[in-house]
Amino acid sequence: MSDTEQLPATAVAAAPEQLTEPRRRPAWLQNPAAKYSLLVVWAAMAAYFWFAVPGGLFHTTGTFRSIFGSMQAMVLVFLAMSAVITLVVGEFDLSIASVMGISATTAAVLGGLHDVNPVLACLAAIGVGALAGAANAFFVVVMGVSSFVVTLGMGTVWMGVAEMVSHNNYVSMSSPGLKSFATTSVLGMPVAFYYGVGLALVLAYLLAWTPLGRSMIFIGANPEVARLAGVRVAPIRFGAYVAGGVLAAFAGILIVASVGSFDNSTSSSYLLPALAAVFLGTAVIQPGMFNPLGTLVAIYFLQTGILGLQLLGYDTWIQNVFYGLGLVVAVTLAKVVRDRAKGA
Amino acid sequence: MPTPRLEARHASKTYGAARVLDDATLVVQPGEIHALIGQNGCGKSTLVKILTGYHAPDAGMELAVDGKALSLPVQWRAAQAAGVSVVHQDLGLVDHLSVSENIGIGGFKRTHVSRRIDWRAQDRVARETLGRLGLDIDPHAPAGDLPASHRAGVAIARALRDAVPGEGLVILDEATRALPREELARSHEVLRRIVAPGTSVLMVSHNLEEVLALADRVTVLRDGRVVGQGLDTAGLTEADLARLMLGSTVDAVVRSPAVRPEASAAAEVVGVRIDGHDPLDLTVAEGEVVGITGLPGTGFEQLPYLLGGARRGAGSVVTSRARVDLARATVPQCLDAGIALVPERRITDGLAVELSVRDNLALPTMRRRGRPWLVRRGWQDRLAARAITGLGIRSRGPGALVRELSGGNQQKVLFAKWLSVEPSLLVLHEPTQAVDVGARADLLRTVGETAAAGAGVLLVSTEPTDLVETCDRILVLHPGRPPRELRTSDPDDVLEAIYGVPTTAPSTVDTETGALHV
Repeated sequence: MSDTEQLPATAVAAAPEQLTEPRRRPAWLQNPAAKYSLLVVWAAMAAYFWFAVPGGLFHTTGTFRSIFGSMQAMVLVFLAMSAVITLVVGEFDLSIASVMGISATTAAVLGGLHDVNPVLACLAAIGVGALAGAANAFFVVVMGVSSFVVTLGMGTVWMGVAEMVSHNNYVSMSSPGLKSFATTSVLGMPVAFYYGVGLALVLAYLLAWTPLGRSMIFIGANPEVARLAGVRVAPIRFGAYVAGGVLAAFAGILIVASVGSFDNSTSSSYLLPALAAVFLGTAVIQPGMFNPLGTLVAIYFLQTGILGLQLLGYDTWIQNVFYGLGLVVAVTLAKVVRDRAKGA
Repeated sequence: MPTPRLEARHASKTYGAARVLDDATLVVQPGEIHALIGQNGCGKSTLVKILTGYHAPDAGMELAVDGKALSLPVQWRAAQAAGVSVVHQDLGLVDHLSVSENIGIGGFKRTHVSRRIDWRAQDRVARETLGRLGLDIDPHAPAGDLPASHRAGVAIARALRDAVPGEGLVILDEATRALPREELARSHEVLRRIVAPGTSVLMVSHNLEEVLALADRVTVLRDGRVVGQGLDTAGLTEADLARLMLGSTVDAVVRSPAVRPEASAAAEVVGVRIDGHDPLDLTVAEGEVVGITGLPGTGFEQLPYLLGGARRGAGSVVTSRARVDLARATVPQCLDAGIALVPERRITDGLAVELSVRDNLALPTMRRRGRPWLVRRGWQDRLAARAITGLGIRSRGPGALVRELSGGNQQKVLFAKWLSVEPSLLVLHEPTQAVDVGARADLLRTVGETAAAGAGVLLVSTEPTDLVETCDRILVLHPGRPPRELRTSDPDDVLEAIYGVPTTAPSTVDTETGALHV
């Protein structure tokens, strides 16, 4: 933290029209109430669990690892980033979980049942993800069909295909090399945790600092403005779907690698948490915008809440309730704070 | 003098520092067609929105219908009960539902016992109301299948549904806009039938031809003030109304022509085809500002989008940087050739309002100034700072969202965005639309400076004062005629050239245009 002046929220709220600003605070310090409120709630929640969970179970390194390094969290990071890419360009992709499923099934079936080299199996899985993304893009971008309809339909198709290929069974694939690719411990955390953080950082950089990223944001904000400014709108939208498919495939590979098997029937349970995290992420860091770092924070926020509640003795149903409530309440709060800061 | 049907006095509306409506008065008499006109942003839609209860007026307004005061802000149910109804611009018809349903919505007739909709009674109401308008339309036909004039009739019938003949006021909020010109005579008859028993019509419009043809009296708004109240249309011409709407050249932006005789061409436009017009050839010299105007709706409005590569067309443009074939041109190609397009609709085509001023300004130059892996902030900040001081953009700073800015400041951002690409041909479409007088002066001054710096400027506009104040020459385009070139400083000359020609049918060439108003 720097020693820049820390202004109370009220000073931020009063922002009259000024021609010149005396001294601008850096961007990340402007309007802190709207940007970091979720972080404060997160801290408060963690503090509560710290004292409320009996037997000091919450303050163990095991807890820390299950929040930040659980397989579920890592898979969610990749899946949520996949959703971010399409949402940023103003598209919706409801097929990400199914694409993850078909990719994971591809890898597991090829590597486990047919003894294909694990690297090749994973490449095939990525290829399937890219193909699924391209199929979505074809219907949405080229044919101009609503992205809601297309991705819902294609998602269902992939789910069915995955059932067919796996005969609706667990497919195991034991490959020590692949397992270490995901679970090798680095500084106490599985290496895949760093992949997720790295991915979020790269994506955040792409969106903030490259022409491609800026163009994507403009396409999402107003495609006609982007087109009249010379941005090639259609290829970028197409590419966003393909990239989203590839990231979903990575999520699938992570499951196969860390668990050593894949159960296709679980894939759809990842969709809502991933989307919830993305929308919850619009309440942090860059309020009102889909942003990778905010999404990352949101995922860990949700994981913390669920783990804490489970340690308090709640059953697994609390997971869905918390995902849902957390999303609605946090986004509402962020909107209220943001409207207040604008000073009406 | 009878009691006015509607009497609104001291109507004002202030947003922050901007007063968009200033002590306006509107008096509509029983049985008359009253027109409310003015440019975009003059306050006429604000006034209508106050009357329909969408906006709350500033304190001090008085409003009475048939002499009975209405409480403010207007409660729409109370206004309806007093007999006020409104037909919106888009008519609000649901295409796949029947005429009868479209008329009945919001007040269906119901049976006594089961309280379901009594379709037979509903059809009767529909037929009856349409009959009052002299329209014979099958109540069972889907609204989407009707011709334009009948659609407007159905929307009016809905508004009149509950009115006692001879009472009430129908507000047509630009609702006649949907009518083709050849339907003008027809709609005239419909409106006459409404007002004959004593009902009043308030039509909001910006089409002067239509106003003169249909209305008895007219109230003119300019910059939020009433500049002509209840004028009798009998003694008025379109040029008179235009002059009232636009005002005298109070804030005249005097620009001394900057074209040197030996100046080379900034852009040569060859054989550009606009629908209904002959191919257009045009050379814009460096430092020259050329105005393009014509009758609204006749197609000359397409020119900016053709030249900018936003719409495909025939013809080509040659600039000092490149030659662009408009049949195959894309926006990036036109940009590379140095053609920058400032579109008319700044919210939908011009700016991403949810993003910051800086981001919007930087967009067109991003690929040129940024590297594929990094767009630095430094030049974006400098660009934004230069634009903000150069054009006098009032905002919280470069990080302010465009949405937070006033219309005039948004327009300045749009200008600065395209000036930043340093175009050889700057194409402007209605650049001063819905901006205040001060911003207008800043914008037009910038046009002059851009030309003085060596660019060619094409100003496509329907504002005669803008044209005469900034342009070296003005081309008036009429379908099927050679363009007429004017060099004048008198807005009346331009109006005369636009409206003084016997009008032929607008862009769609229609052979059935017998009855036309000259």
